[in-house]
Amino acid sequence: MAVDIKFILNDKPVELQVEAQEILVDTLRERLGLTGTKKACGTGDCGACTVLVDGEAVRSCILLTASVDGKKVLTIEGLGTVENPHPIQQAFVDAGAVQCGYCTPGMVLTAKALLDKCPNPTTEQIKEALAGNLCRCTGYTKIIKAVKAAAKKN
Amino acid sequence: MKKGLRIVGRSVARAEALAKATGRARYTSDFKRGDMLVAKALWAKYPHALIKSIDTSAAEQLAGVAAVMTAKDLPGRNGYGIMVPDKPVIADGKTRYEGDPVALVAAVTEEIATKALELIKVEYEVLTAYDDPREAMKDDAVLIHPNHPAADKGNLLTVVKLDRGDVEKAFREADIVIENYYETPMVEHCYLEPDICIAEPDDLTGGLHLICAQQAVYATKRCLAPVFNLPHHKVRVSSPIVGGGFGGKEDSSLDVAAVAGVLALKTKKTVCFELTREEVFRTTGKRHATYIKHRMAATKEGKITAVDVETVLNKGAYTSMGGLREPAHAVTMRTAAYAAGVYAVASAKARSYSVFTNTPYSCAFRGFGVPQAIFAVECQIDELARRLNMDPIELRRKNILRDGDHTIYGQVMKESRGLGLEECMDKVRDSIGWDKPLAQSAGPVKRGRGFAVFMYGTGIPLLFEGASCFAVLNNDATLNVNIASTEMGQGVMTVMAQMAAEALGLNYEDVLVSFSDTGRAPDSGPTVGSRSTVMVGNAVLDACRQLKDRLLAFAAKPFKADPRDLAIEGGKIFVVGKPETAESLAALIAKAYASQVPLAATGVWYPPQPSFRAEDGQGEPMHAYAFGAHAIEISVDTETGVITVDRSVFACDVGKAINPAAVEGQMEGGAAQGIGWGVMEEQVMENGVMQNAAFHNYMIPTIKDLPDLESIIVEHPNELGPFGSKGIGEPPIIPAAPAIRNAVWDALGIKMNAIPLTARTVLAEIQKNGKA
Ligand code: FES
Ligand code: FES
Repeated sequence: MAVDIKFILNDKPVELQVEAQEILVDTLRERLGLTGTKKACGTGDCGACTVLVDGEAVRSCILLTASVDGKKVLTIEGLGTVENPHPIQQAFVDAGAVQCGYCTPGMVLTAKALLDKCPNPTTEQIKEALAGNLCRCTGYTKIIKAVKAAAKKN
Repeated sequence: MKKGLRIVGRSVARAEALAKATGRARYTSDFKRGDMLVAKALWAKYPHALIKSIDTSAAEQLAGVAAVMTAKDLPGRNGYGIMVPDKPVIADGKTRYEGDPVALVAAVTEEIATKALELIKVEYEVLTAYDDPREAMKDDAVLIHPNHPAADKGNLLTVVKLDRGDVEKAFREADIVIENYYETPMVEHCYLEPDICIAEPDDLTGGLHLICAQQAVYATKRCLAPVFNLPHHKVRVSSPIVGGGFGGKEDSSLDVAAVAGVLALKTKKTVCFELTREEVFRTTGKRHATYIKHRMAATKEGKITAVDVETVLNKGAYTSMGGLREPAHAVTMRTAAYAAGVYAVASAKARSYSVFTNTPYSCAFRGFGVPQAIFAVECQIDELARRLNMDPIELRRKNILRDGDHTIYGQVMKESRGLGLEECMDKVRDSIGWDKPLAQSAGPVKRGRGFAVFMYGTGIPLLFEGASCFAVLNNDATLNVNIASTEMGQGVMTVMAQMAAEALGLNYEDVLVSFSDTGRAPDSGPTVGSRSTVMVGNAVLDACRQLKDRLLAFAAKPFKADPRDLAIEGGKIFVVGKPETAESLAALIAKAYASQVPLAATGVWYPPQPSFRAEDGQGEPMHAYAFGAHAIEISVDTETGVITVDRSVFACDVGKAINPAAVEGQMEGGAAQGIGWGVMEEQVMENGVMQNAAFHNYMIPTIKDLPDLESIIVEHPNELGPFGSKGIGEPPIIPAAPAIRNAVWDALGIKMNAIPLTARTVLAEIQKNGKA
């Protein structure tokens, strides 16, 4: 069954017809060409596919696209660009928190959701917020540094 | 070591980091297009079985299916592998693990491909499936490879032997003998990017282009050309940036590329084959599980005199990095070679048995068997310290290999290659406050501290070893460097650019490194074995030196100076000591270009030829070693068995840190994986079927499982490494697990010799020992 939906994607209105069972990560990556959102497990366990829906960090691999009807969706492409990166993105680069980078878009967006609510988080709060985002490369030490540095800059 | 370095030794930001952080960096799966065919594999229903019949007719009829293939439909050899072509593209008559494809499908959509798989009917005759190599090596075990060249040894693929000195005598005369049995688990690499290959038939050449996340583009081309029945020059293999590899994507990339490739040839269309996470768990290569019987002889003063070690390795279903020609087995060989760890031991006997089973094949995984071997040794020496009532660090100090000492495989240690272990030990000892006892509380939580060290010979001796690259100077004084190594997060683009810029006197931003494409670069060797910084780095320096020599020779005339008195720096060329003579390098290059000075060069480097005799495991297989020491503090909740790592202090001697932030990144990531290996990770198999094939039951460390990982860089330069470097990608994974095990003993007074030390195992041990 097809459904018509309208939502705000990266500050721009979008109208789409999607299948009822279509998953948001596939809509973003395959239909809209927004490949910055990564899919690493597809079962909601790793956080690589995180996007923000109305400011909340959600896993787009277990979210029906139809459910974002009427909402605001932010993907990594809407946060900043290479020419004009968001301070969190720049902080990840400066702290050396990016290795293979597959977890990075999800980490950055989860960090954004945290900092929007809690501008000066403690290490414990950062860990709590990022606990659902797996990274196999960094050991997380530099990711925590990056989030703290981004908080300071704000 | 060179003085006055401008770019090498600085933590410049990674070349590609911003593109990754903004989601612009494209990985293989980001190149998928809607018009590509989607490939799916019908995996073996039974891990060990005979295939009686396959009926694909219904699947072939399904609308939208472009091809269905079974073993009889292949274009070339139905077998591939890094060392021995014993892994079939499609199982032919027999399955050996649950990752064997029985049939392949290409269809216009994933849904149709999945539906087609359901329509394929297969009849099996089920055989006994082995998870444990100790069972599979019994005389009456069913043969997993009845027609394998090694089949006369049953399921035993190979034995690596090492003999030195008079082991019997040393044990007879020993004051103390420590004997234990250790077990380490099979684990999955868990790179976040699932395996994928896009195979594109090239109508212009009649060849095939494989775009594939991987670590070894040239090996893929060599291994798979016979599968496609194509000459090597018509198989182009390239890899966009890779979302983590850790050794796994040297092998699993062959699996996906073989499938996508044969389907692309069959359909004459572009085909994409991407694994789901569950498929990555069930079908790709793993770290070898090991079972190690370790005997260590010592004097009462604490001098280790002999080791006698027997290691059984789970090879899994296929040879992978194993091999038939003994002792050329990257992993098996190292479990024997490192049987005495970092210690100078006069007499040694080691036997390592690699045995086929019906689990996923075991392949390269960060450290190539050294983590397993060192785990046993570092537990052994800790017990020796307890028995002798000596400080474990001081006991290690007494025994470590020093300049002029021989390893148990006969390699002479050389100060000139950098021997920084003792400095690592001292720095870690001071930083963690080793001499201050840990504060204990009265409650159920007990604290403990453990220590472990490692050494690791970088590179891949006994396989192809050496590297080449291309370098091209452009007329605007920028440089292209083309290497075939992979950028998988370790930072090879960055450190190669740093070294090239340093060597040629260019700005860092003016060097661009292209990577992983057999169509654009000569063979740099695989991106494994912590080898790229040294091997490929030396090749890049060689190319830069040639270009620089040509430019300086050409400049001698206009500058009216001896080439030796000229220097290039920051895009300018000048007479040393006379800054007023400076001219733009770009102008000079433009003149050189017009004057027939060649501005492209091929750089090459080969290390001293490695050796390791099959008869007794003696030789000089390594050219330089990285070293490290790791201290870990833990708490154990004696009511739940949960171990928490409270502190981790780690020092590594890397020779020279080309980019210190990147080195720390390797150390922190390695420590995290080592902690995971020690306390939580395990691929649980039951009759060849994986029981925990998802991230919610196969646990890897999350941000909450790790403390702040403290890293200390130590630099004892290696005369053979560029700027003194040694390579550090893999070894940081090695010492965490034994350090944790030693810390648990310290906390609870209980010895545990099998990892992972999960809450359940620890609690069971506590209860068994009546210490709750
Ligand atoms: S890809 Fe969505 S949580 Fe892993
Ligand atoms: S940087 Fe590779 S998974 Fe996080």
